[in-house]
Amino acid sequence: MRWPRALGLAFVALLIAAPFGLPAFAMTLLTELVILGLFAMSLDLMVGYTRLISFGHVAAYGLGAYASGYMLLNTSLPLPFVVILATLLTGVIAIGVGWVCTLATGVSFAMLTLAFAQLLYAIAFKWTSVTGGSDGLAGIPRRAGPMGLTLLTTKTGFYYFALACLIGSFLLCRKLVASPFGAVLRGIRENEAKTVSLGFNTRLYKIAVVAIAYALGGLAGALYAPFAGFANTELLFWLLSGQVLIMVIVGGSGTLIGPILGAAFFLLLEHQLSSVTEAWALFFGLIFIGFVLFAPEGIWGLATGWVKRREKPLAKVRLRD
Amino acid sequence: MTDAGAALIGIAGLTRRYGALVAVDNVSMDVGAGEIRAVIGPNGAGKTTLFHLITGVVKPTAGHVRFAGEDITGLPAHAICQRGLSRTFQLTALFPQMSARENATLAAQARNPRRWLPFGGGNVFTQARRAGGAALELLGLAGVADRPAGLLSHGDQRLLEVAMAVAQEPTVLLLDEPTQGLSVEETAQVVETLSRFLEQSHVTALLVEHDMEVVFRLAHKITVLHRGAVIADGTPEAVKADARVQEAYLGGIE
Ligand SMILES: Nc1ncnc2c1ncn2[C@@H]1O[C@H](COP(=O)(O)OP(=O)(O)OP(=O)(O)O)[C@@H](O)[C@H]1O
Ligand SMILES: [Mg+2]
Repeated sequence: MRWPRALGLAFVALLIAAPFGLPAFAMTLLTELVILGLFAMSLDLMVGYTRLISFGHVAAYGLGAYASGYMLLNTSLPLPFVVILATLLTGVIAIGVGWVCTLATGVSFAMLTLAFAQLLYAIAFKWTSVTGGSDGLAGIPRRAGPMGLTLLTTKTGFYYFALACLIGSFLLCRKLVASPFGAVLRGIRENEAKTVSLGFNTRLYKIAVVAIAYALGGLAGALYAPFAGFANTELLFWLLSGQVLIMVIVGGSGTLIGPILGAAFFLLLEHQLSSVTEAWALFFGLIFIGFVLFAPEGIWGLATGWVKRREKPLAKVRLRD
Repeated sequence: MTDAGAALIGIAGLTRRYGALVAVDNVSMDVGAGEIRAVIGPNGAGKTTLFHLITGVVKPTAGHVRFAGEDITGLPAHAICQRGLSRTFQLTALFPQMSARENATLAAQARNPRRWLPFGGGNVFTQARRAGGAALELLGLAGVADRPAGLLSHGDQRLLEVAMAVAQEPTVLLLDEPTQGLSVEETAQVVETLSRFLEQSHVTALLVEHDMEVVFRLAHKITVLHRGAVIADGTPEAVKADARVQEAYLGGIE
């Protein structure tokens, strides 16, 4: 797999160079893409690597967003600390969520994740003193610091911060899925009963992966709040849970990079189509169905498959020379 | 062999009900260390359920299982496996998309105290690959080690399940019909491999098997189940001569 690696590095180089070539509105879109890509990638740990389907991943995003928004508005902590704290908070809460949800399996597991997200949604509406109720939290600042560092207050600086979070999380996830822990996750994905009877306490592994996935989803949310300047109940709405699940599948589950591409695809399509037609979500739905039926390996699977098919004939030609 | 007082596995009054059906009915038996015990009986006699009860897959309605002097009744399946009881399933249970080697490696990884390591883990993998590879070698699967388990022949899949259990270097090996669904040639091959392994390893084994030739070839002792209850228990010769066994078999097998 030399090709995907080279392709990945080229992507990263492009992302780093982007602020020098792209206009401001495109940079805003790209920053959102990086955040949404991180959100989708976090879900891939559960969906792609452990076959834990979640209908409520928005809970992680919303928790992270409200936590970071609240801290930025009500404390004087510098932005990076706020983001780290919001990530940890989401992860710690997710241990409890994982504990409860893994009492069930399959569809019931998915429904429990949804139930928790809906619970947060209701809390966000009612707990006005903290969440701002239906107005949400507005005017969330990208505060300077630590030590008077002003880089993150600029749009470009914040973009690099978000990009660093995405790349760091990606490398972390890659280490995780290649570790002994990751091998057990694959076992759970393919045959959980067998994994148990081999002596693995799979419930603990599932709780751990839920906590990690939520923490990283929380990181994405924690970045979104200062990026957008607000956090409202839409960040906890079930629709977004469905959309991020679709991003994972369309991009290619179990690949980490695929869901990032899925998020990019989703965002660009929304951007292009929503100006043309109100029914753009319908188009996205149709595209989703198309992928499920004809290309279940997703965008990344199609791309790597295409490269592999091209590599083979090339190799033959070289042999003949 | 060993006397009953030093039994490695002591089962007492073990019972499992499904509604009105008593799948395992007040079963008591002792298995000594190093013993190879066959559990036989007609279809639906409760053999698989007995294995499920011993390995924690199913919780008993009543009764106890002691292993190496400790009560393991009702412990979760993973905890029982960690104490050294490894099993195979009657319906082949593998990780179909992983290679045979990855299957065996994951089985061996379970034995490592650092099996959960969320980063690196080079040593964990090296050890597990060694143990897994040795088990594959032992069961004659080295040649197909890199094929996805789901694409192996049925016979090799059965062997792979045994290899995974063997890779865990268990104290007790529980094999639920390792030759089920195999052709005559495949059965001969599996039995050959198994008997060689059992002789070499001195592992304690419980074996469910329908093929009487296989049973008489491998087992030191035989327990006969009928409608969940033990109807005979003893050496192969004694069991063969038992009138009730003859009756159960003549009346029970279609
Ligand atoms: N989960 C269950 N629910 C209800 N009944 C069950 C369940 N599991 C097993 N049984 C019943 O318990 C009895 C014993 O089943 P078991 O599978 O232990 O038999 P067995 O001796 O392994 O048979 P075979 O030789 O066909 O494998 C059968 O009558 C079976 O239908
Ligand atoms: Mg059975």
